Amino acid sequence: MPPVLELRGITKSFPGVLANDAIDLSVEKGKILALLGENGAGKTTLMNILYGLYKPDKGQIFINGEEVTIHDPSDAIARGIGMVHQHFMLIPVMTATENVMLGVEPTRSGIFLDKAKVSKRILEISKQYDLEVDPQACIGDLPVGAQQRVEIIKVLYRQADILILDEPTAVLTPQEVEGLFKVLRSMVANGKSVIFITHKLKEVLAIADTITVLRNGRVVGTVNAKDASQEKLAAMMVGREVNLVVKKKTATPKDVVLSVKDLYVRDERQNLTVNGASFEVRAGEILGIAGVQGNGQTELVHTLTGLAPVVRGEISIMDKPVRHSSPRNVLERGVAHIPEDRQRHGLILSFPVHDNLVLCTYYQPPFAKGLALQQKVIVETAEKLVTQFDVRTPNVFVPVSTLSGGNQQKVIVAREFSRPIQLLIASQPTRGLDVGSIEYIHNRIIEKRDEGTAVLLVSPELDEIIALSDRIAVMYKGKIVDILPAAKVNKTYLGLLMAGVKPSEALEAAPATTQEIEVERVF
Amino acid sequence: MNAKVTQTNPEGSAQKEAPKSEGERKKGSKFLQILLVPILALLTGFIIGAIVIALSNDAVIAAYRNFFHAPGAALAATWKAIVTAYGALFNGSIGSFTEIRQGIQSYYATGDSKPFLLAIYPFTESLATVTPYILAGLAVAVGFKCGLFNIGAEGQFGIGALCSAFVGYSIHGLPWFIHLPLALLAGAAGGALWGAIPGYLKGLTGAHEVVITIMMNYISFRLSDWLLNGPMKAPGYRPLTPVVESSAMLPRFFPDPLRFNWGFFLALAMAVFVYWFLFKTTIGFEIRAVGANPDGARYAGMNIVRNFVIAMTLSGGLAGLAGATQVLGIDHWVGQGFSAGYGFDSIAIALLGQSHPLGVVLAALLWGTLRSGATRMQSLAGVPIEIISIIQGLVIVFVAAPAFIRWIYRIRAISVQTTVLTRGWGK
Amino acid sequence: MKRISNIFAVLAVFVLLLTACGPAATTVAPATSVPPVVVPPTAVPAVPTNTLAPTLKVGEVTDFGGVDDKSFNALGWKGVTDAIAQLGVSGKFLESNVQSDYAKNIQQMLSENMDLIITVGFNLGIDTAIAAKANPNTKFAIVDYTFPDCWPGAVEGTDCASATELPNVRGLTFQTDEAAFLAGYLAAGMTTTGKVATFGGIAYPSVTIFMKGFEAGVKYYNQKHNTTVAIIGWDNATTTGLFTGNFSSTDDGKSFATSLVQEGADIIMPVAGPVGLGSAAYCQTSAKCLIIGVDTDWFVSANEYASVLLSSVQKKVDVAVFKAIQDAVNGTFTGGTDNATLASGGLDLAPFHNFDSQVPQTLKDEIAQVKADIISGAVTVDGVLATP
Repeated sequence: MPPVLELRGITKSFPGVLANDAIDLSVEKGKILALLGENGAGKTTLMNILYGLYKPDKGQIFINGEEVTIHDPSDAIARGIGMVHQHFMLIPVMTATENVMLGVEPTRSGIFLDKAKVSKRILEISKQYDLEVDPQACIGDLPVGAQQRVEIIKVLYRQADILILDEPTAVLTPQEVEGLFKVLRSMVANGKSVIFITHKLKEVLAIADTITVLRNGRVVGTVNAKDASQEKLAAMMVGREVNLVVKKKTATPKDVVLSVKDLYVRDERQNLTVNGASFEVRAGEILGIAGVQGNGQTELVHTLTGLAPVVRGEISIMDKPVRHSSPRNVLERGVAHIPEDRQRHGLILSFPVHDNLVLCTYYQPPFAKGLALQQKVIVETAEKLVTQFDVRTPNVFVPVSTLSGGNQQKVIVAREFSRPIQLLIASQPTRGLDVGSIEYIHNRIIEKRDEGTAVLLVSPELDEIIALSDRIAVMYKGKIVDILPAAKVNKTYLGLLMAGVKPSEALEAAPATTQEIEVERVF
Repeated sequence: MNAKVTQTNPEGSAQKEAPKSEGERKKGSKFLQILLVPILALLTGFIIGAIVIALSNDAVIAAYRNFFHAPGAALAATWKAIVTAYGALFNGSIGSFTEIRQGIQSYYATGDSKPFLLAIYPFTESLATVTPYILAGLAVAVGFKCGLFNIGAEGQFGIGALCSAFVGYSIHGLPWFIHLPLALLAGAAGGALWGAIPGYLKGLTGAHEVVITIMMNYISFRLSDWLLNGPMKAPGYRPLTPVVESSAMLPRFFPDPLRFNWGFFLALAMAVFVYWFLFKTTIGFEIRAVGANPDGARYAGMNIVRNFVIAMTLSGGLAGLAGATQVLGIDHWVGQGFSAGYGFDSIAIALLGQSHPLGVVLAALLWGTLRSGATRMQSLAGVPIEIISIIQGLVIVFVAAPAFIRWIYRIRAISVQTTVLTRGWGK
Repeated sequence: MKRISNIFAVLAVFVLLLTACGPAATTVAPATSVPPVVVPPTAVPAVPTNTLAPTLKVGEVTDFGGVDDKSFNALGWKGVTDAIAQLGVSGKFLESNVQSDYAKNIQQMLSENMDLIITVGFNLGIDTAIAAKANPNTKFAIVDYTFPDCWPGAVEGTDCASATELPNVRGLTFQTDEAAFLAGYLAAGMTTTGKVATFGGIAYPSVTIFMKGFEAGVKYYNQKHNTTVAIIGWDNATTTGLFTGNFSSTDDGKSFATSLVQEGADIIMPVAGPVGLGSAAYCQTSAKCLIIGVDTDWFVSANEYASVLLSSVQKKVDVAVFKAIQDAVNGTFTGGTDNATLASGGLDLAPFHNFDSQVPQTLKDEIAQVKADIISGAVTVDGVLATP
C-alpha cells in the first residue's frame, strides 16, 4: 500500500535563499509524522507548498500513490489535506459553529443557513475524536486551547484525511498540550494521518511515529521515534552538540531589590486579577513564578513595569515605592523587561535592528544630543551589540522583522542587558524559540544573576521555571500560594498548587522531598 | 501595526545568511522598486484616461459609427482627440517650448517681457498650485507616521487660512519681515490647535481620530461660514474677508498674472524639516515608533498620548500652513470656495507618496501639475476637467492596490510591501 | 504575451464600463424638460462655419457648481448658447472649482484672446476687476455684481476691487424684489390656510431681496383685499428671516418645508438654490404645500416637481448675458450697470403651467395690473413696505 502522502524532490527558492532543497518525505496512513527543525529551516514553506499557497520550483507530490498538482488551498482541501495554522484563522465575534461553517455554509431551501445541522455534525466529530467544544460558544470567549480544537474541527468538518498542524503547541499550556495529544492519538486511531510541525523535542518524542528533521532547507534525516533521543534530535536540528542541562552555581542572594506587598491589580476588563500577592526578589537570585497562564502573571508584570496601575498594595524597587510610575520611570530605575510577546511588545518590527537596540535609551546621551539623534553612535553601538550578543543579521539596517524569532529575542536581550540594570523581569523569555536560542538565553540570564542582578522569571512552562529558578513561587488566581527553594522542589506538589489545591492538602498528597532532581531544559 | 513600509520575506531567515555588502548594493534597486508601482500606476491611469477622452469626444464616436467604411479615419480621430487633450494638458501644466523660445526672442528683439512671462505662466502656475498640496500632503503623512488618520486636514487648512487672513488684514503698518512671518505663524497655529484637539481627545479617551477629525471639519466649515458672514466679513455685502495687507503677502517672483511665490520654497523647506524631524530627532523616533507599534512603544517607555498630541499638532500646523500660503500667496482673501478639498486630496497625496516627505513632494508635484494643466485642457481640447480626477483616482486605486498593477504588468512581488497606514477601528 | 493580454483585459473592462455609462453622461437635458435650459457641459460648441466676418469670441467663467447647476451658471451659459445660435458668435466656458480658479480661468480666457468674458457671481468680483484693469481692450460682463464697489474710506485693491466704474465691465444686476412682489401677491391670493412662507440659503442681499419683495407682495394683497394673510420666514422691519445656512442640502429643504407646513403655511418660496428642491419633494409626497421657484422657471428646470409648482420668480440671467453679447456684436457695449427690472423684461413671474386653471382669472388680472403698476412706478416695493 502506497503512503498516504509522498513528496519527492520538492525544491523552492526565494530570491537570495533556497527555502527547500530537494525534500523527500512520506506519511503513512494512521501515523503521525513530525517535521522537526529550527525556525527558518523551511518547515513552513514546505507545508505551504503542500497546501497550495506556494508553487514548488521542482518536485512531485503523490497522494495515495497518485501524482497531483495543488494549485491553491481549495485544491488541497478537495484532496483531503487540512491545515491548522499557527495563528488561528477564526473570527472572534462568531460562534464555533459559525466559524466552522464559514465558506461551506449549508442551507435549507437554498436560502436559510442550517446552523443546527452544522452544530450536530460538530458534536459528532467532537465525540468521535474526543474534541471538547461547545458549538454555541463565541470564539473570543474561548481559551486558546479550545480555539485550536475549533480549528481542528473545522478541518475535520471539511473531511480532511491528512492534517497539517503548524507549531500547534506554541500557544498552549502544558495541560492543553496533553489534551491536544490525546486528540491526535484518537485521530490516527480513526485512520487519519497527521503532519506535526514543531521544534520541541519532548513533544516530538511523545507523539510522533516517525520524525523528519530539516535544517537549512534540507532533510537531515528521518528516524523512528522509538530510536530517537532528545540529544540526538537536537544535534541533528542544530548541527552541533547541544548542552541540554542548565549548569549553574548556587545562588548568593544579597539585598532585597524588588518587594511586593499585598498587591491588587485589575486587568483591562476591570477584573481583579492580582489578588493580594506578596513576595521579594533579592540581588543575585532568580525567583520563578510558576502558574497556569491567566492567573494574573501578565497583570503582575505590567504593574511592576509601570504599564498598569496599582489598585492597592505596595511595590518598591531598591526601597523606593513604585505606585504611579510611568514605564519610562521604571526603566530608568534600572529595570529590564523581556516581555512575553516579543513581536507585539518588545520590538518595533518595521524598524531596523539598530533602532530596536536603542528603543529604551535613544533619548539619552550619547544616542541623542538635545533633540538630534546621533545616528553614527547608534549604529556603532548596535554593531557592537550585534557581535557581542551573537545576533545573526546581515547588518544592523535591516528591519528586525526579517530576523528569526531567536535572533529577535537576542535583540531584546542585547538591548535590555546592555543597560545598567538592577532587576530583570523576564516573561516567558524562550517562548517559541529554537534549541540553540533557548540555550543562549538561559545562559545569559544565569550570567546576569551571577553578576548580582535580581531576576524575576515568569513562565507557564514548569520545566523552565525549575531549571532556572533559585526559588519558586506558585501563583494561583492572583495570589502567591507558596514560595519554596528550587532545590527542594517536587513537581507533583507544584502541579497540585498550580491546579488550585491548598498547600497543606498538596503536601499530604505529595510530600516534599530533599532528593536532587534532574533538571532539564524544556524543548 | 505598522505605519511604515515594511519588507517581509516569505521565510523569516531569508536575509540571515546574506553577506553584508548585499544590503548596501540592494539599496538602489529598492528605490527603483518603490517607484516602479507608482510610475506604472500613473501610466495605466493615463491610458485609461485616454480611453475616456476618446469616448467622450463626439468626433471620435461619430468616426467609429463609420468604422467599417473608414477604419483609418476612426483611428486617426481617436489619436487626434487624445493627442490634443494630452498636448493641451502638457502645455497647460509645463508650457509650450515654442512659446517660451518665442518669448525669449521677442524679449531680446523688443524688450517686451510679456510674451515670455505668459509663456512660462503655465509652469509657474503649476508650481503655485503644487504648494498647498505639498504642505497638506506632509500634514497627512505625519499623521500616518504616528498611525493616525488625519481626515481633518481640510478643516485645519480652512482654519489656518482664516487665521492668517485675519492677521494679514487686521494689522496695519507692520514691516513685511514681521507681518508675513506673523501671518504664516497664525495660520500654522490655528491649524495646529485644530489638529491638537482630536489628538488630545484620542489620547485621553481613545475616541477614534477619524470620527473626531471629521466632526472638526464640520465645525470648521460652519465656523468659517459664520465668520465670513459676520466678524470677518469685509465691508459690503459679500461673504468674504478683506484683502490682506501687502506686507503680509508672500512675495511673488513675477508681475501679475503670474502667481508663483515664496510659498513653494517654504513648502520645500517644510518637507526638509519634516524629514529631519521624523527621522533625525528623538521626538520623530517616538512618533514613528508609536505609529509602527504603539504597544511596543509603550513598553519601551514612550508616552502614547503625548505623541498623539505632538503628531496631530504638527499635522494640523502643516495643514494650517498650507491654508496660510494659499491665502497669503495666491488668493489674498478668503471666500466660501476657498478650499476645494485640498485637505482631502492631501490624503491621496500622502498615500501616493508612501508617507515619506520626499514621496509627498513628488506626489504633490504630480497632483498639482495635473490639476493646473487641466484648465487649459478643458478650454482648448474641450475635455471636461473631471478627466483629471479620473486619472488621479485611478492612480490612487492602483497605488493602493499594487497587486493589481503587478498582475497587469506581471511584476513579481519580490518583496512583499505592506503599507499599513493606520490602525483600524479599535482593536 | 500574457502581459499584453492582461493589459487588454483590464482595458476592455474599462471600455465596457465607460461605454455603458458614456452616452448617459453626454445626454442633453432630461427628456421631460421642454426647451433645454441646461446645455451639456461636455459639448463645447465650435465656431459656426457659415460666417466670414471675424466672429466675436465669448468665454464664460462659472462659479462653483458649473454650467449644469440649473441656476445662474447654467442661465449664463444659456445666454451664450443663444448668442451662438442667433448671433453667430463663438463661445466656451470654464468651470471654477476653487477660489484660486477664478483668476486662472479668466487668465486662460485672456490667453485665448476672448473678446467678451462673462463672469458669473459676486465671488468673481475682485478677480474680474483686476483682469479688466490689466486688459482694457477685453470686455467683461459680471453677473450679480457691479462696479464701483468701494465705499467711502475704502482702499481700492485692498478693501474693494474698484473705486470707479470700469468702462470695459458691465455689471448685470437684477431688481428681483419686483418679480418676487408678484409672487407674494399670487401666494397671498392662493393660500387656503392664510399663511405663506419663504426661507433663504444665506442672508446675502441677492437672497433677501427675494424675500423682501415676497413680503411686500403679500402685504399689498392684504391692503387691497383687507385680508390678513401672514408670512413666515422673513420680516423686513427687523430684516430677520429663516435661513438654512447653505445652498446645497436638500435634506434641509425637506425639514424646513416640514416645519413650515406644521406652522400652517401652504405655499413656500425657497430662495436657496437646490435646497428648494428638497422642499418641493416634500410638498409632492405630502401634498400639503405648493412651491414657488426662484431664478429659473422650475417647471422647466425641475419638471419632476411640476405637480406642486405654482409658479417661479424668474431672474433672466440668460437675457442679460445675451444682451451684453448682442451689444458687443453691434459695437454698442458699454460699461456700467445693467439693472434688470420687470420693465426691461429681465425679470418675470413664470407661467402657472399645471395650475393655470386653478388660479382665478380675477387674480391673474390683478397680478397683471400690479405688474403694470410696478413698471409705471405707481407701486413700489419700498413704498408698500413703508405703509403701516
